[in-house]
Amino acid sequence: MVRRVGVWTVSALVLALAVAALAVLWSLRTDRPQPRSAVLERLAPLPPPEARALPAASAARAEEGQWTMPLGDYAATRFSALDQIDAGNVSELRPVFTFDTGIAKGHEAAPLVVGSTMYVVTPFPNIVYALDLTRPGNPLKWAFRPRPLQRAQGVACCDVVNRGAAFAGGRIFFNTLDGQTIALDAETGREIWRTRLGNIDIGETLTMAPLVAEGRVLVGSSGGEFGVRGWLAALDASSGALLWKAWSTGPDSDVLIGPDFRPFYASERGRDLGVTTWHPEGWKLGGGTAWGWISYDPDTRLIYYGTGNPGPWNPDQRPGDNKWTAGLFARDLRTGQARWFYQSSPHDLFDHDDVNESILLDIPVGGRRRPVLVRPGRTGFMYVIDRFTGQVLAADPYAHVNSIRRIDLRTGRPQYAPEKAPRSGRVVRDICPASPGGKDWNPSAFSPRTGLIYVPHLNLCMDHGITEANYIAGTPYLGAESRMHAGPGGHRGVLTAWDPVARRPVWRIREDLPLWSGALATGGDLVFYGTMDGLFKAVDARSGRLLWQYQLNSGTIGQPVSYRGPDGRQYVAILAGVGGWSGAIVSGALDKGDPTSALGFVNAVRDLPARTDAGGRLYVFALPR
Amino acid sequence: MSSPFRAEAIMLALLALAGCHRETRDYRSDAMKAAERGAAFEDNAFHIAQGQRLYAWMNCAGCHAHGGGGMGPPLMDDEWRYGGRMEQIAATILDGRPNGMPSFRRRVTEDQAWQLAAFVRALSAQPRQDALPGRADEPRNTEPMTLDERKPIRPVTAKSDDASEE
Amino acid sequence: MTTPSILDKIQSAAGNDGRHGQLISELFSVFLVVTLVFYFLVFAFLLWAIFRRRRGDSREQPLRAILAGWVGLIALGLAGLTTASWVFDRRLARADSGPALEIEVIARQWWWDVRYADNDAHRVFRTANELHLPVGVPARITLRSSDVIHSFWIPNLAGKQDMIPGRENDLSLLPLREGVYRAQCAEFCGLQHARMALDVTVESPAAFAAWRAAQLRPAAAPAAGPAQAGQAIVTGRQCASCHAIAGTPASGQVAPDLTHFASRRTIAAGTLPMSRANIAAWITDPQTPKPGNNMPRVPLSPAELDAVTAYLETLR
Repeated sequence: MVRRVGVWTVSALVLALAVAALAVLWSLRTDRPQPRSAVLERLAPLPPPEARALPAASAARAEEGQWTMPLGDYAATRFSALDQIDAGNVSELRPVFTFDTGIAKGHEAAPLVVGSTMYVVTPFPNIVYALDLTRPGNPLKWAFRPRPLQRAQGVACCDVVNRGAAFAGGRIFFNTLDGQTIALDAETGREIWRTRLGNIDIGETLTMAPLVAEGRVLVGSSGGEFGVRGWLAALDASSGALLWKAWSTGPDSDVLIGPDFRPFYASERGRDLGVTTWHPEGWKLGGGTAWGWISYDPDTRLIYYGTGNPGPWNPDQRPGDNKWTAGLFARDLRTGQARWFYQSSPHDLFDHDDVNESILLDIPVGGRRRPVLVRPGRTGFMYVIDRFTGQVLAADPYAHVNSIRRIDLRTGRPQYAPEKAPRSGRVVRDICPASPGGKDWNPSAFSPRTGLIYVPHLNLCMDHGITEANYIAGTPYLGAESRMHAGPGGHRGVLTAWDPVARRPVWRIREDLPLWSGALATGGDLVFYGTMDGLFKAVDARSGRLLWQYQLNSGTIGQPVSYRGPDGRQYVAILAGVGGWSGAIVSGALDKGDPTSALGFVNAVRDLPARTDAGGRLYVFALPR
Repeated sequence: MSSPFRAEAIMLALLALAGCHRETRDYRSDAMKAAERGAAFEDNAFHIAQGQRLYAWMNCAGCHAHGGGGMGPPLMDDEWRYGGRMEQIAATILDGRPNGMPSFRRRVTEDQAWQLAAFVRALSAQPRQDALPGRADEPRNTEPMTLDERKPIRPVTAKSDDASEE
Repeated sequence: MTTPSILDKIQSAAGNDGRHGQLISELFSVFLVVTLVFYFLVFAFLLWAIFRRRRGDSREQPLRAILAGWVGLIALGLAGLTTASWVFDRRLARADSGPALEIEVIARQWWWDVRYADNDAHRVFRTANELHLPVGVPARITLRSSDVIHSFWIPNLAGKQDMIPGRENDLSLLPLREGVYRAQCAEFCGLQHARMALDVTVESPAAFAAWRAAQLRPAAAPAAGPAQAGQAIVTGRQCASCHAIAGTPASGQVAPDLTHFASRRTIAAGTLPMSRANIAAWITDPQTPKPGNNMPRVPLSPAELDAVTAYLETLR
């Protein structure tokens, strides 16, 4: 017996089918993420004046209105006291001058301004341009072409970048990718001396901005991805002669550890730990390159700098704590002898170099001011460390972290989460933060007016698989394959305003793309930073509210600076030109079909080529007259 | 012919004929031999698989990732700075190139360089489908290769490859 | 160095030279005895059934009592075997626990990458295709594979344990008798599965400590002459891309560690006995004795071959 199907039944079926079809089509729509706009979160009140940190008085800069080193001063504050541009008038800021470098690679440098000249160091081939600020149009005063070896480009892990020059004593000091440190006469651009420190045939390059203090030029190598043995060297500023060289691994005599060495924690004490915490001979390929930032306290004559990741990335191939990599050194500037050391990542598992900036601050504690340094680490923790003893006073996460449960302040050691430790032959998923860490090299800024540290950082997690690393000199010594993606929330970059005394974020801006540019804080209560798709922004230092932005011709990974021009006006300058590790997909024209390219970063920024182009241009902004 | 020198004339003519042997001119000698050698490695699944092994062992993956590039340019697309034919890739590997490609002449044998060249071409799916390696061990965003039919990006033929490759 | 010594034991799956193998052997004996008893019983019944005189009455008698007795006997036998199995399993588990020498073996096509672990990172060392164990000391071996499935089997000492890529297995051993044993891969793993042998030397704790101390030493610098030229070739050319020799710049990780190469008894995981002639033969053409293995034919002139062989011989 066949029952006739009613017309209502048929209609219901047709409707259901139509809905189902629409649902399928909807789910198949191209999953091209729309660019998210930045989102501001207010989290805590500003610290009152008596509860604010102050920059270490001894490390203050000599003269306001100039910019003689990329971090601004020896305390690494990246703060300009100039206040002509403030929250009220910044909306009128506009570019008054641009200068094309002619190189379409990642521009990480900070332009320097000394007197009436601006100095810019480009990525490879590391040309130094000096621009005359007194004449209209800021014409070129001189250009110096060091002609570094072409094949150095093959051993630059993260684009052929250069983080800037340093000025001291009438000279400009900078590094070239092929391992040379060069001193130029700042006025004429004439080469005074040139010293070769790095051997590119084993993968040693130079990308960092040197620090010059008391007649010494401090230079640290790059190449931790190539199995090189890292070092920090001091050259005589007048002649370029090598004064001392402190290796990051090896016997105490090489690491310049002597009777002055008084580390706070027990795990840093012992003889020749740079040998015994490695498998035999492992320290010779150990990494620990010092390619990041150096701070200096003129009162104590101590320099503070971090060492990079151990080699290879595969931790199973290097049992032991792997001293003295992934940690922070305090050394005497004159002799290089180590005073203390703190290892933030013993037996590093995630390429968490420790080379980020150390901001020297005096923090109010119990009515007195305690001299500390505050540093946002790659591990995702904000460390507050006593400048004299190396004791970690506080370590709080400023980013999303699941790879480390906590930092044990008694021993100083991180408690790694075992489920996030890399395992041979497996891919461990969702390790946060990813290998560039909670924040990579791009420096923060500190404003003594608000007492806040402005940290431009990342929100990335990764899937990480380790394989066997084979050592062949001059080729990468890695043993790991990663694939990064956005962390919880879906945004990939964050600008956090962090209160170092209360140890918490005050406000946060979530950015769609990872933040790889430095931050600048000014006396007008503004914070400047730029995004990887080229938006150069000014936000209110107190509230985080966006006050101004400008679209640059290329994404920016540079460090903004502010200076007083010869006409007395305040200017803000930044280099645009996306690249670096984060922007390699654009500057290197990489293929997003392979998620492991650029050491996993390409997967996290697959939308970048659609949003910006490679380029290289200096922008200078000012208020209208 | 009734010349007193008839015999000598004939002899001279014969001698001249002997001088007619024309020397062979091998215009593309090295390239020809190299191309033959390349052909032996080209569509051979064993050599491509060995090339895949060597690609990881010799740290090619450290600079070129798994074709996407990094410190070095991508290898899975159809842009070849120094040529995309077998012998050109093998030459790039053995000689190195000025902008940072190291020379592997003292680090691999010639046969291994050919195997690597075969694998590099496999990254852009140039060889025959049945010779392509099916198993990729690295983290990927796509389904395993065995479920994909891979189309070559753009085959590199002798005609398309010239001095101006890009 | 290559002549077989009286210490060489015959490779035997009976496994009586190690505690675990011994326990399995004993269990095997129990099973053999019980099953033999039943076998002969059944055989006896069969013979009786064939040769007994027939009675006039062709009707079959019910066998209730005998049947019940037989079933009861079988149940008893099975219960006995089960109990024996359980008892030996517990004994094996006890033999597995406790502090032990930690060794990691990574199987690769077609050789064994052996790493001796230690709490002190700088006492960790790596060797290839050989294992030394102190007699009477428990050892725990972590088994991994870097490519395909292999299986670790020292027949005289214990049973097999698979080595599976992406997974860590382990095997405990307690060697009871000194000697040299031949172990091998027990899971088909490719072209040269048959030539993947492992030399296991069980020796006194003092001899083991001496061997361990020797393994921790880097390779000594060779004297002037062909050996020195050989070192320059080995560390500067294709060899260093894959092999490591501690104390020299050669740090390749994907091929056997050669620091103490000449102190081993065989070349290429049991393919050739160690001798100067065989070293030269192996380097000249590794693809003939072991076709398909991953070592390429490195082109060397006769003088270079002589130098390299002289150098490798010094790596004791």
